[in-house]
Amino acid sequence: MPPRRRGAHPHPGHSKAQCLKVLRRLSAYLDHELPISVCREIRKHMGACPNCEDFVTSLRQTVRLCRHAKIPPMSATAKARIRREIHKAAGLL
Amino acid sequence: MKTRTQGRDGSAGTGKDGSSAATFDRLYRDHVDRIYRFAQRLCGHNDDAKDLVQDTFLNAYRGIKRFRGEAQISTWLYTIATRACIRMRRRRRGEPVRELSLDEFIPTSQGEFHLQIPIEGLTPEEALEHKELRRMLQQAIQKLPKKYRLVLVLRDMEGLTAKQVSSVMRLNERAVKSRLHRARLFVRRELSARGMDGGASRGRAGAA
Repeated sequence: MPPRRRGAHPHPGHSKAQCLKVLRRLSAYLDHELPISVCREIRKHMGACPNCEDFVTSLRQTVRLCRHAKIPPMSATAKARIRREIHKAAGLL
Repeated sequence: MKTRTQGRDGSAGTGKDGSSAATFDRLYRDHVDRIYRFAQRLCGHNDDAKDLVQDTFLNAYRGIKRFRGEAQISTWLYTIATRACIRMRRRRRGEPVRELSLDEFIPTSQGEFHLQIPIEGLTPEEALEHKELRRMLQQAIQKLPKKYRLVLVLRDMEGLTAKQVSSVMRLNERAVKSRLHRARLFVRRELSARGMDGGASRGRAGAA
């Protein structure tokens, strides 16, 4: 963890405590698990705190990237080989 | 939702002895792609992923008589694969358990708030055409401590609900959500400017 001056806040004009409160709830916010009143509070904070807004955007993008990351399928040859190995180990042959 | 392998009662569709090669082959055919994808996301290496697929289906075959259909077959297989993955990694690498704290994810400089590779205005599919971004994402997921990686992969990549992840991981939902949040913040940080330089800026800041 990088050293941070105690009490220093990178968002001018806003309290670090407010940002921390938002940070703690961001996944629940993105997953639509929070009550409307809390969502409103978070949006209000973001409207006044560009850094938190950027942070939420980048977290949302991260989650979307994870959801859409593709994996190439296993080859038919490898599938057949693994199937044979399992048959052998399980005494199905 | 029932899969093709499931019988009318939601069971695994086994015969009287529950051990036929045909039953196994059906299970394997219907679920091998899903379990391979899961294994690849967890392990990051082809060979490890294939070993995990083999362990999972062998254990599934041996345990199929105990499957009563309370869960979907896919969730049952995820559970077996998760247990196999935990055993496999413990055996091979003896990874230390590392806890992630929220404090470590608080950005301290302007560059850390954005992703390093700008993807504004792109769909996730378009963004992922960027080879470097794909590599960074894969590396970030592999760098996650295992217990966080499992939750992130199950929830955000395999698309399980928090309740299903809680059943697979044998954790309460609150713990699942807490791990998921930390895992997402970790991956986000790795994709940000701070993650990009491999910690060099952290070293510089520490030396200042």
